[in-house]
Amino acid sequence: MSKEKPKNLSIKKEAKQRSLKTHQKVTNVIVYIILVIVSIIWITPFVMIVLESFKGEATCPTDAIIPRQFSLKNYKALFNIGVEKKDEIKFFRWYMNTLIMSCVCAIIQTFMVLCMSYTLSRMRFKGRKFLMNFMLVLGMFPGFLSMIILKKVMSGWNMIGENAVWGLIIIYTASSAMGYYVSKGFFDTIPKSLDEAARVDGATRATVFFRITLPMAKPIVIYTLLTAFMGPWGDFMFAKYIVNNATDGMNVAVGLQNLIATSEGLAAHYTHFCAAGVLVAIPVTILFMCLQRYYVEGVTGGAVKG
Amino acid sequence: MKKRITKFIALAMALVMVLALAGCGKGNNNKNNNNNPTSSPDTPSDLSALAGTYDITVWVSESAGVADLTKTQIADFCKDNPGIVINAKVEGVTEAESASQMIASVEDGADLYCFAQDQLVRLVQADALAKLGTATQQKITELNDKTSVQAATVGGVMYCYPMTSDNGYFMFYDKSVIPENHLDSLEDLIADCEKAGKMFSMELTTSAWYNAAFFFATGCKSEWTIDSEGKITGVDDNFNSDNGVIALKGMQKLLKSKAFNSSSAGSDFSAAVPSAIVVSGTWSTAAVKEALGDNYAATDLPSFTVDGKTYHLGSYSGCKLIGVKPQNDTKKSAVLQQLALYLSNEKCQLERFKLVGWGPSNLNAQKNADVQADVALAALAKQAEYAVPQPQIHGSWWDIAKVYAVSAKDANTDEELKKALETYEATIKGLFEMSVNEKEAWTVIGSMNGDTNWTTDIPMVCKNDVWYSEAIKFVAGDAFKVRQGKSWDVNIGSDGKAGGPNFDVTEDGYGFVVFTYDKATNTGVIKLEKSSDVYGFSVIGTINGDTWSKDLTMEIQPDGSWLTKEAYELKAGDEFKARQGLGWDVSYGNGGDNYKVETAGTYYIKLTTDNKIELIAK
Amino acid sequence: MRFFIEKARKGDIMKPKTNKTTGTKKKSVPVRKRKSFAEGVKGFFKAVGNEIKSFFTIFVDGSWRTKLSYVIFGFGNLVLGQIARALFFLAFEALFFFYTIKSGWARILKLGNLKELTEQVEFVRLFNKDIHVELLLSIFSVLLVVVCIVVWRNSFHGSYRNDKLLKEGRKIPRSAFDKGVINFIKAVGNEIKSFFVIFVKGSWRTKLSYVIFGFGNLVCGQIARAALFLAFEASFIYYIINFGLAWILKLDNLGDIGSHEEYDPIFDTYVRVNGDNSFKILLYGVLSVLLCIVCIVVWRMSFHGSYENDKLLEEGKKIPKFKDDLHDIVDSKFHRTLLTVPAIGITMFTVFPIIFMILVAFTNYDGAHDGYSGLFTWTGWANFMELFNTKTSNLGYAFVHILLWTLVWAVLATFSNYFLGMLLALLINKKGIKLKKMWRSLFVMTIAVPQFISLLYMSKLFAKNGLINMLLIKWGFLEFPFDFWANTTASRILVVVINIWVGVPYLMLIATGILMNIPEDLYESARIDGANPFQQYMKITLPYMLFITGPYLLTSFIGNINNFNVIYLLAGGAEANSNLLTSGGSASDVDLLITWLFKISMGTESNYKLASVIGILIFMVVSVISVIGFNLMPSNKNEEDYQ
Repeated sequence: MSKEKPKNLSIKKEAKQRSLKTHQKVTNVIVYIILVIVSIIWITPFVMIVLESFKGEATCPTDAIIPRQFSLKNYKALFNIGVEKKDEIKFFRWYMNTLIMSCVCAIIQTFMVLCMSYTLSRMRFKGRKFLMNFMLVLGMFPGFLSMIILKKVMSGWNMIGENAVWGLIIIYTASSAMGYYVSKGFFDTIPKSLDEAARVDGATRATVFFRITLPMAKPIVIYTLLTAFMGPWGDFMFAKYIVNNATDGMNVAVGLQNLIATSEGLAAHYTHFCAAGVLVAIPVTILFMCLQRYYVEGVTGGAVKG
Repeated sequence: MKKRITKFIALAMALVMVLALAGCGKGNNNKNNNNNPTSSPDTPSDLSALAGTYDITVWVSESAGVADLTKTQIADFCKDNPGIVINAKVEGVTEAESASQMIASVEDGADLYCFAQDQLVRLVQADALAKLGTATQQKITELNDKTSVQAATVGGVMYCYPMTSDNGYFMFYDKSVIPENHLDSLEDLIADCEKAGKMFSMELTTSAWYNAAFFFATGCKSEWTIDSEGKITGVDDNFNSDNGVIALKGMQKLLKSKAFNSSSAGSDFSAAVPSAIVVSGTWSTAAVKEALGDNYAATDLPSFTVDGKTYHLGSYSGCKLIGVKPQNDTKKSAVLQQLALYLSNEKCQLERFKLVGWGPSNLNAQKNADVQADVALAALAKQAEYAVPQPQIHGSWWDIAKVYAVSAKDANTDEELKKALETYEATIKGLFEMSVNEKEAWTVIGSMNGDTNWTTDIPMVCKNDVWYSEAIKFVAGDAFKVRQGKSWDVNIGSDGKAGGPNFDVTEDGYGFVVFTYDKATNTGVIKLEKSSDVYGFSVIGTINGDTWSKDLTMEIQPDGSWLTKEAYELKAGDEFKARQGLGWDVSYGNGGDNYKVETAGTYYIKLTTDNKIELIAK
Repeated sequence: MRFFIEKARKGDIMKPKTNKTTGTKKKSVPVRKRKSFAEGVKGFFKAVGNEIKSFFTIFVDGSWRTKLSYVIFGFGNLVLGQIARALFFLAFEALFFFYTIKSGWARILKLGNLKELTEQVEFVRLFNKDIHVELLLSIFSVLLVVVCIVVWRNSFHGSYRNDKLLKEGRKIPRSAFDKGVINFIKAVGNEIKSFFVIFVKGSWRTKLSYVIFGFGNLVCGQIARAALFLAFEASFIYYIINFGLAWILKLDNLGDIGSHEEYDPIFDTYVRVNGDNSFKILLYGVLSVLLCIVCIVVWRMSFHGSYENDKLLEEGKKIPKFKDDLHDIVDSKFHRTLLTVPAIGITMFTVFPIIFMILVAFTNYDGAHDGYSGLFTWTGWANFMELFNTKTSNLGYAFVHILLWTLVWAVLATFSNYFLGMLLALLINKKGIKLKKMWRSLFVMTIAVPQFISLLYMSKLFAKNGLINMLLIKWGFLEFPFDFWANTTASRILVVVINIWVGVPYLMLIATGILMNIPEDLYESARIDGANPFQQYMKITLPYMLFITGPYLLTSFIGNINNFNVIYLLAGGAEANSNLLTSGGSASDVDLLITWLFKISMGTESNYKLASVIGILIFMVVSVISVIGFNLMPSNKNEEDYQ
């Protein structure tokens, strides 16, 4: 949908050179062109992934973007239809693992973040400054370091390998309350007058939280649910370390990276990777687009003051 | 402010404590280490004694199909031994990944896993491999070829089962591009590739395993001395020499060529810019055949010429191995050993050969008709003549040795090549930052005490400028020398001079090497004694008219017991003790206290191998 | 927002500084007279003379504190509560004397015969240049002595100034850090004092609750609280006696008997016999120690609670029953109820592992000694020393080399995303641009796709036989594939560019939100003053944006320092750089500290001790940056205004 250049621009320009309006029009056209080019740059890689996922002729990277013969072979191979036993891919299992993880994580993480952010934003209690600074300092340590010990503890509770899903859920959600900035920023914008009024009528802090603040915090709740849901889809480092080579316990990121890590793997599974990428991206994108209004509001409203 | 926050942590910690109770409940069961019953039936060979169900995890190579084949092979094993039920979780994992995951946490690692020989030393150091039982070791030595048996041994102890002995590399090439007569000259091959616009795939900058071929061609070597715990004690490496520079010059011919592609993947033949030549091993045969079809061909590596002299490229030859993780439960450990033995037997090796083309290490499997006829294995056989059996090498050598290739790629002058080799040598020497006294210490090394290829250093202790070795078991015909700092730079022979001939042992039995060294003249005197002031025993007491002041030396007998040199007059009521190294740390009499003589007489005093005093009448 | 707009109204920001030429400055700056060289020298000697004179006068009439600060640097400050300054002085003095006595003095003497010094020169390859180490260190030692004299002078002069302040009765200046430390000491003091006071003044109930936790509550009818206390005390004692003590006692050398293998002749197999497991000892040992600290806190709660009950009884007030506690949970102490679960999660899964990993940095925990197969023990500062020991491996070189690239990467990544994101937002928000919503959702869609797919795809795109190489060859730009990820500069540029592709949409969203809040009349008045769009941007939009997104900029800078996914997924397979290669962990030129740390832990030796040392150093680097960053941030001071 590239905008074609207006053909008789030069003649119009002389006629309206002086007036501010044409100056305005010219800059607008330039801005439109820039926007078109920039959006093409941003969208092309995804278009290429989709195109390559339909490539029928070879599974290794070839020099053509548009496939010579379209076929759903790659999508079928992902679900082991028409594929010998020895080339099977456990994509469905990885996909379900990640789905379970993201749903459970979304719920628990939202609960954690809301508790922390509401308390820090609304209530003035001793040690509030100390707690915020303490969490800031904790955030400065590289996360991977604690993974080494957490893997041993998780293996003690038999939550690595096949049932790495539960181990990872605990690890993702346990200290997720440290990411409270955005929602705290949002709670700061809710005026306090309503709370005082309710408090005066004898409502306990809990009722204030559940009946007044929470309903008004719908955007931030959805924002946190969404970001928490997106987390497990993108995590690679922790998942690879905890899964300990058990293909049944992998999430999508580790599984696909494992598939195309070796050069033989890349040659045999490159287009399968593209197809898997499309299958993973579509549902997450659709969910994201529906809740985009809240996401934008959360980011613009909250993140700024965090 | 403190009060409120501390209350939170108090509650938090209460929960932590409860979890700790649960957590360490599991933790403390290893304090009362489970000494399982060893009472068991008679013959270990019939496996009915091992009946039971076992849940195990197995990591095998990631090449397509190997995991499924292993599952069927395990099922066959269970069929052959009805009592044993194994539910195995088999995963396809790259070799490097399986070795580092094992070492990352041995406890969570797989029970049975495959790895390449270059990972063996690291795995032994991390206690990730269970030693093989003596009977199993004999069986393995009989069944497999010598190089694969040696590959499975570290410091004289066997830690794993050889599975293939084709872990070497040779040259696959595209018949339609490469003419037959160019096959033996690297320069022509590079020219052909460049002319055809195709690539020459050989992993020079990304793997030391391949680039060492140039150094073996010019006669360099890199051998490491390792003790049986897998601790690396020394290296004898002459890569940093003129031959080394020639090797790098040869390597530069390929490194600097436009066609050079640092990869060894069989699929390179069908890559975007296809290769005409790929240096790789039998694990790529399937991919190469698929890519090249009837242009598929393989031969040994070419030769290169530098300053008029031609050198045929060498190569490493090694093995893929199966290892068993140390188990706490005896029966499970025994079952795993039997399963590993089964998986490395002739039948399984042949099945693997048919599936992915891996050359077997089993002797009669090698005699199989298809194995002989296989093009790749024939090329490997041709290359075997120049191949160097891969010794046990320090884990980080593989990273360090990539250095000279990476620097050689950008180097233009000989000085730069020399500098690259110097950094290489300084770094590997750095791996053994010996302490000062380790450098000064003298050790006995030779073919004795079961160690036939001069690998283990027997430490010596210095007491007022004389070096004493512990008791060494000799057999007539053994030979040894003494050397300083576990390296051959300073060593003394039987003639007392530096670099002199070996000290030959003429009669069987134990002996102590006693050595005095004169630093100024760099000469020394080696003596083989039956007694020793440090390790030897002597008798002291109220005997022979002396009161606990004079030591009567004892000599070590071929059976390891001790006997005084002469017989002594002993009176009833005399008391004495036998003590070691003229000190009281180790001394025997009648158990802890002194030995009292009952009947007078002239006796030799004997200290038996289980430390009891006996009087033998003259 | 209100604060900023008032500032703008007052015209501080608004008045464009266009009329510089007619700048009428009120104060007339005295033109400095050029001093001749002779006067300069005379002035110098006079100054030196004063210095020496003041040296003695201060000593004579200075207070006892000043006299002592001649010997112990900063003693005067310490006594008067300027702890930060005192600590600096003391640290400098300790380090100076430690270095000079150990090797500095010998090096200064060596300066005597320069010939011998330059001959036996120990080269060190730092940024592949050979540096005369010995020569540099000798010069450094001399400079150090001069600096020490200056510091010494500041020490007694500072103390003398404090004396004068005290004489005039003025307050001694103390920094925030000092106040914090003093309050902490006071708090601890009160704790200990109250411990005895309560015991003495408390009723018999309080005295007993020193021994039986919650006894006071029990007697006053607070059954629930008492039950909780008793349950805690009972289980604590049970745990310590059966398990805790054993673990704590083994903490000294983390296990004595390792595991070994026994040969079982009947089954002809070796069986592993477990010994001590250093990992479990360190884990449960530290846990038990923390538990003891918690027990002390609960003990304190017990007798303080009982003392409060005594006071309530004296004043005849009602003792809060369980019903009241329940009400508190929902009302006055609601914040505690909300925070309990997150607090437990953070303590168990972040605080405790970090403590553990800091301890690991002082042990020899790696692949060969992982506690299960080989025991590991304390090795003190050896791991940190190894970083600076150039003989065995130049880990120090690798660390510095990678740290530099990490900082460059963080700056490039953060600011490139920031400005391009803002530019994109400006373009979309420009008046007269239609379909704003469509453009925005187009870019937001790219955030939706999980990062690992786009990153992995990009890395395969630029691989040796990837699509880009093929197209370049097909169109004739290239004859043989160009290995992007092996070439240092190419891989670094690529990583930054792809990070822009991943990060800009998110920044665009943030910038859009803020741009909408800038009041329109600011631009109107600027336009009337004849400011062109660029000046408007520089004077209004940019300062406003920087003011608002200050903290975000800093957090994203720190986020980029620890940005694992982009670097590992894109350039994980990049070839190792030859100089870095020999320094352990085979890092490549594009590796950050965090990816190097990952390669070291998962690499050939799984060298955890080195990984935790690097983790600690990353923490130090990040904390220094954020302390500097937060102090510079204007918006940090008036956080309250935004409510």
